Amino acid sequence: MAAYRADDDYDYLFKLVLIGDSGVGKSNLLSRFAKNEFNLESKSTIGVEFATRSIRVDDKIVKAQIWDTAGQERYRAITSAYYRGAVGALLVYDTSRHVTFENVERWLKELRDHTDQNIVIMLVGNKADLRHLRAVPTEEAKAYAEKENTYFMETSALEALNVETAFTEVLTQIYHVVSRKALDAGNDPSALPKGQTINVGSKDDVSAVKKTTCCSA
Amino acid sequence: MVNKRVPDWLNSSMWQSPPPASTTTAAPPPPPPPIKPPSPPSKPPSVSSSDGSGNEAREAREPAGSVQKTEVRDPLLSSSGGNEYDADPVEDVSRQVQLSQELSKKIINMGELQRLASLGIPDGAGIRSTVWKLLLAYLPRDKALWSSELAKKRSQYKNFKDDLLKNPSEVTREMEESTSSQNGDETREGKGLLSRSEIPVDEHPLSLGKTSVWNQFFQDTEIIEQIDRDVKRTHPDMHFFSGDSASAKANQDALKNILIIYAKLNPGIRYVQGMNEILAPLYYVFKNDPNEDFVINAEADTFFCFVELLSGIRDNFCKQLDNSVVGIRSTISRMSQLLKEHDEELWRHLELTTKVNPQFYAFRWITLLLTQEFNFADILHIWDTLLSDPEGPQETLLRVCCAMLILVRRRLLAGDFTANLKLLQSYPSTNIGHLLYVANKLRSHSHS
Repeated sequence: MAAYRADDDYDYLFKLVLIGDSGVGKSNLLSRFAKNEFNLESKSTIGVEFATRSIRVDDKIVKAQIWDTAGQERYRAITSAYYRGAVGALLVYDTSRHVTFENVERWLKELRDHTDQNIVIMLVGNKADLRHLRAVPTEEAKAYAEKENTYFMETSALEALNVETAFTEVLTQIYHVVSRKALDAGNDPSALPKGQTINVGSKDDVSAVKKTTCCSA
Repeated sequence: MVNKRVPDWLNSSMWQSPPPASTTTAAPPPPPPPIKPPSPPSKPPSVSSSDGSGNEAREAREPAGSVQKTEVRDPLLSSSGGNEYDADPVEDVSRQVQLSQELSKKIINMGELQRLASLGIPDGAGIRSTVWKLLLAYLPRDKALWSSELAKKRSQYKNFKDDLLKNPSEVTREMEESTSSQNGDETREGKGLLSRSEIPVDEHPLSLGKTSVWNQFFQDTEIIEQIDRDVKRTHPDMHFFSGDSASAKANQDALKNILIIYAKLNPGIRYVQGMNEILAPLYYVFKNDPNEDFVINAEADTFFCFVELLSGIRDNFCKQLDNSVVGIRSTISRMSQLLKEHDEELWRHLELTTKVNPQFYAFRWITLLLTQEFNFADILHIWDTLLSDPEGPQETLLRVCCAMLILVRRRLLAGDFTANLKLLQSYPSTNIGHLLYVANKLRSHSHS
């Protein structure tokens, strides 16, 4: 049973980053996904914070290693180092603060400058629960996401709305990219030697396919 | 397999369990005492208001009818028990007596004060508030100068507030007033006409001029909103800082004022996230002084102490210096070198085997002076030591960070990347007296 599998018993390990302006709710999205927790007032993130969670995609265990980053501009030079090896990104804005949506463009550039071009990106409009304060119309964000060729979803970490779906969608898409790549290369990903790196995130040292050595715990 | 570079003292069993209470207590340590009441005159809900220990003064300040806040979750009270090393009541009392003696002198011996304070300042009697002001050179050594010096600084702060915290309408109105009074044009009112403001083109809110007070205002707004967001989430678990109570709101306003004034006076660095965390312990300690004069002026006093403290560590906040020898990256490398020097096996395992880049955890440790790693009472205790270093807090801080790694070395040596990073990003609560003891030990070995 999955619940009894050891923490490091996984088939794939994918590194994701959470980016976006300060105060859009990145840390709460992460704690909702990783621990099912939410804090109305959580401390600001300085540097990076880190969490993991494993989910099942098809018949595989995918372990997500998620890096939550500081939002303020000052920390950008430092946090860009954490992008290394990321195969997925959730680019978060606050649906009730338009300026955080305007800055999405800068964050996208940041991502594209520091990560592999195959990275799976999802634009995430968080705080969708603040309906009376909405400043970014869904259609506007959706159109932007289409133009930029990213996935899109509106979430509420507070109401646990779409958080699970957003992360799962990104991880599933990465999984598809990875398995397609492996097929293209004529390899069955599960047949790769233990620890061999799949080259989805370029000089990636984290995201790896790992052959499970034992079927069940 | 023990690395041969690890000196004997490092493998002593002492590292894994707290050392004997102290050299002065031959008898077995007494059971952990309830931590002495902290300097803030907080009371359990059932106790009535006046208990004669300086509380009346504080009560008197409260607006009539307001409910005295009961700091049920006061961090100083919630400090974990079992700290025989640092909470030894005999030690505490004798240190409190020694510190009080030092403070009663006409001219304070800073060397002695630093030595005593570095061992930890007992939480009672409001000593910490005064000692920190001395350590940060806000109060001069010569007590005869205190009142004049305080008066000068407090009036200076009042001027900063008057000049820097008003909005542009007030600025333009004053400009207009000063012009009209210069023209001797004070007869208008007598004619019963409403005067129309003559706003210079440059100062119109819609002016695109870079020098316009409104342009400056809009730029400031972004920073002020950032400060506002961060102040609201400073120690969100403490009633003193957080919540809807009038006192929490007033405390938040004070923190905001200080950060805004600092940002405006320091345009090169402005406000950087995390400064709020550096500010909070200072303000908390000063605001909880038993002396009412210090309570009333806590905001002004905190401002100057904050400036002084930040002057020693501000390079960590400065993006432009990230890659310089004084920037945060180089500071983190120095911590890493210190670890390598003292415990190469652990260093090798962390950085080479499990590839835990020290930036992943030490960035926050160092930038925030450990304020997000421990509970509040423990933070104050660590800061007693940091602030006592005559060279500034940084070197002591690096030793404390290094000691934090060494104290969990067994778990780290058994851990992989994920386990180690999780452990270091949420460091387990520990005996702070012991941690500081180990950190100090690194000092004596670092040049051998």
